[in-house]
Amino acid sequence: MAKIIAARLLRLLATLFAVTFISFMMTKALPGDPAVAILGQDGIQNEELLLELRAELGLDEPIPVQYVTWLGNAVRGDLGESYINRGQSVAGTIGQRFPVTLQLALMAIIIALLLAIPIGVIGAYRQGKWQDQASSAGVQVALSVPNFVTGIFLIWLFAVKLEWLPASNWNRISDKGVIANLKTAILPATALALTQMAIFSRLVRSDMIATLQENFILSARAKGLSDRFILFRHALRPSSLSVATLVGINFGALLGGTVIIETLFAIPGLGFRLINAISQRDILVIQGITVFIATGYVIINTVVDLFYSVLDPRIRRS
Amino acid sequence: MNKRSLSKLLALLFAFALVAAACGGSSDADGETTDTTAGETETDTDEPIAAGEEAEGDVDTEVEEIEGERSYGGSIAVGLEAEAVGLRPWEDTCSSPCYNMMITVFDKLTDQALDGTYQPYLFETLEANEDFTEWVGVLRSGVTFHNGVELTAQSIADMFPIQQEGAAGAGGLSAANIIDVQATGDLEVTYTLSQSNSALPATLARAPVGMVFEAGAAAADPDGSANEPVGTGPFMIESRDLDNETIVVRNDNYWGVDPEGNQLPFLDQISFRPIPDEGTRLDALLSGTVDVFQTLRQGTIRDGRAARDGGEDIVMVEFQGNNVGGGMFNVLVPPFDDVRVRRGLTQMNSQENVIEALGGTGISLPGTQWFSPDSPWYSEKVAAAWPSFDFEAGSATLQEYIDDPERSDGKAPGESIEVELSCPPDPSLIAAMQVLEQTWTASGVVDVNLTNYDQQTHINYALGAENGFVGEHGAHCWRFSSDSDPASDINPGFAPPTAEIAEAAGIPDVVSPLNFANYFDGEVFGAAVAALQTDDFDERYALYESIMLKIAEDVPIWYSGHTATAFGTNPAVMGLTGWHLPSGDIGIGIPAVEGRWHEVWLSN
Repeated sequence: MAKIIAARLLRLLATLFAVTFISFMMTKALPGDPAVAILGQDGIQNEELLLELRAELGLDEPIPVQYVTWLGNAVRGDLGESYINRGQSVAGTIGQRFPVTLQLALMAIIIALLLAIPIGVIGAYRQGKWQDQASSAGVQVALSVPNFVTGIFLIWLFAVKLEWLPASNWNRISDKGVIANLKTAILPATALALTQMAIFSRLVRSDMIATLQENFILSARAKGLSDRFILFRHALRPSSLSVATLVGINFGALLGGTVIIETLFAIPGLGFRLINAISQRDILVIQGITVFIATGYVIINTVVDLFYSVLDPRIRRS
Repeated sequence: MNKRSLSKLLALLFAFALVAAACGGSSDADGETTDTTAGETETDTDEPIAAGEEAEGDVDTEVEEIEGERSYGGSIAVGLEAEAVGLRPWEDTCSSPCYNMMITVFDKLTDQALDGTYQPYLFETLEANEDFTEWVGVLRSGVTFHNGVELTAQSIADMFPIQQEGAAGAGGLSAANIIDVQATGDLEVTYTLSQSNSALPATLARAPVGMVFEAGAAAADPDGSANEPVGTGPFMIESRDLDNETIVVRNDNYWGVDPEGNQLPFLDQISFRPIPDEGTRLDALLSGTVDVFQTLRQGTIRDGRAARDGGEDIVMVEFQGNNVGGGMFNVLVPPFDDVRVRRGLTQMNSQENVIEALGGTGISLPGTQWFSPDSPWYSEKVAAAWPSFDFEAGSATLQEYIDDPERSDGKAPGESIEVELSCPPDPSLIAAMQVLEQTWTASGVVDVNLTNYDQQTHINYALGAENGFVGEHGAHCWRFSSDSDPASDINPGFAPPTAEIAEAAGIPDVVSPLNFANYFDGEVFGAAVAALQTDDFDERYALYESIMLKIAEDVPIWYSGHTATAFGTNPAVMGLTGWHLPSGDIGIGIPAVEGRWHEVWLSN
């Protein structure tokens, strides 16, 4: 087991190095200049000022030198300061934004599971019947509609037409309480959840169909247990392993995949900050958030892999 | 309640939600909306346009005294296009969304009246010497900063070194030729300039130079001031949650009163919320999430109007000023170094179709110069001289170049010219570009390559800091002009763009990276400089008219339409237009959707 963990950690480090290097080079390849973004129209009238600022930010150094400097600081836990919001540390920015994105991702997963499990179970139980066909059609729609389109529809329905929920922005629990927070979180979380729901429900359905053909299910039926009891107490648990794995992987992906939804709903999470940083060429913020998201994703995947190894001795042996 | 009943109830609620959504509007959908736009503006097209009057076909909201009893209290939420990087006038680059916040915290030394002239604001008087190289302003007394520090002439003098060090301030001071600021009395401030600048009052009406901040607080915490700035304005910062909400609250010690003597401001609190998506911002107003939203997009104005006309209880407060969309040719790069190419392409620019693609039909007026038809600087002569849409003439002009054995792009006679047309990736801009592409390509002599880069890249290609400010652009989407004094945009826009050109012109110290088209003409630049040496309107008008006539002749730039901007508001929000200067004169309105929030109130 120790070997597996060591191997995974090595792979994690290699992945992070590759992520930081590639994202740094890609950001640098963009023709935008943070100094121009900082100076704006008034500032760029003065060429000397522009050159001075580029020197102050270290932008006049060769790109490999800039990367090595950044990496050296990063491994010591210093992700630097924002070029644009001077004085604001990148780590502080991440610390402030991450809870928002985390909440959205968690809520999206919970909503997705709450919808996916009954839909998947019903689809399997009524395989080939109208309930199965209707839920499959619904799932197909949810899979094929991009989440920002879902978001626009949800805003139109629940904010503009019904006026039940706010159309945008974020109420922090610390400022406005849980209910106000949930009011601003529910629509974006649902927009994120629907695609996940579709994927999860398909998986639950297919696993459940296989499980329902197992001998222990036939035995339970022979004992006269109710269908509902058999479905939810006997069949669901063995059908959930692959969904549990997928939840882990997709949760990691959601942390980095909220960019569009956060921008659409004007939610101050990591994704919204990342988009602003890209448009402002705030390179250290882009780097910091990218590395943070990548680290989260790789760690979650590593944990899922290890979890698999624990559950299945065949994987451990291989 | 058993489970079957619960299921039925849920089904009923779901059905109700769908029916309500399908049938519903806002609860006030049947209420009468206050239409303050197009149809109600009264114009007399037979008379010449005077300053502040509406021109024929102009479609914005008339700026006028707003009737109604003012009331105190209440709070509003304002949806802005973007977040402000910071709220330090001397440091942070600021555009319309940011100005809306800054303007609540900071007062300005001057501001603009409805007729476009500048009047003292925090200054009570402002006068120049004969050659406009020294300006003396006297501050009003009894004004205090939010931290209790009294405003004196020394406060303004203390701002100067901070502005000199500021990323935005240094450029602003340099552009205005300000080399020294001294307190020459308790309330008397003297500005010394390196060259004549009759337009200094315009500089003092905006950040980075004209917004008054408390230098002690700024020096003590330069970074913290980005989020907790201290000014003398009608509101004070309560909290700032970056990318989410900035709250300002009433400054009870504010010095300002309206012409009726009412103490300002009226509102208790304003919450500014950045909502970058245009559709969501409009939806936020329609759903009551915000009370006011701003837009600088014609397509959103169109959608806002449609919602209002469809029964939604909102008011569209629109402003169409001098800012004009279009693009520029890099005149240092073949084939755009030849006026025949520039003129031919411009003649093949169907402004009407481009404006339609931008969603601006019935909203945006076609541009012919840097001034809109209701600006005092607008010239009929320039409008007549502008090469308007004439496809055949444009093709013929291009053909002359194409057949020229000495053509500048080095191609053989008869070969098509190549045009790289670039815009930021905004859907409406892309649609407008496609109209241009189709029209230009239809001539059979132009090959167009469309490119889209994000805003920063787009600006950087035009700036060209890496190649001596020549830039890497060909035909480049751009916006020109503003409602500030013409000098603010024209002087940097037509100064020598590169060191070589400046050297050749005999003015080696004057290089302007803001001359993005790289167009330099000695007469144009001379007129721009001369316009800073006089404050006589007629003289300045003639000079700017001569510049615009030369632009119409040499066409380094092309126009689509004047930029319409708007606030959409809940009908209870009053006083956005029709705000006043301390003199009691009515202000310019809301150019670039920058509200003056001190006179906004909520009607009962």
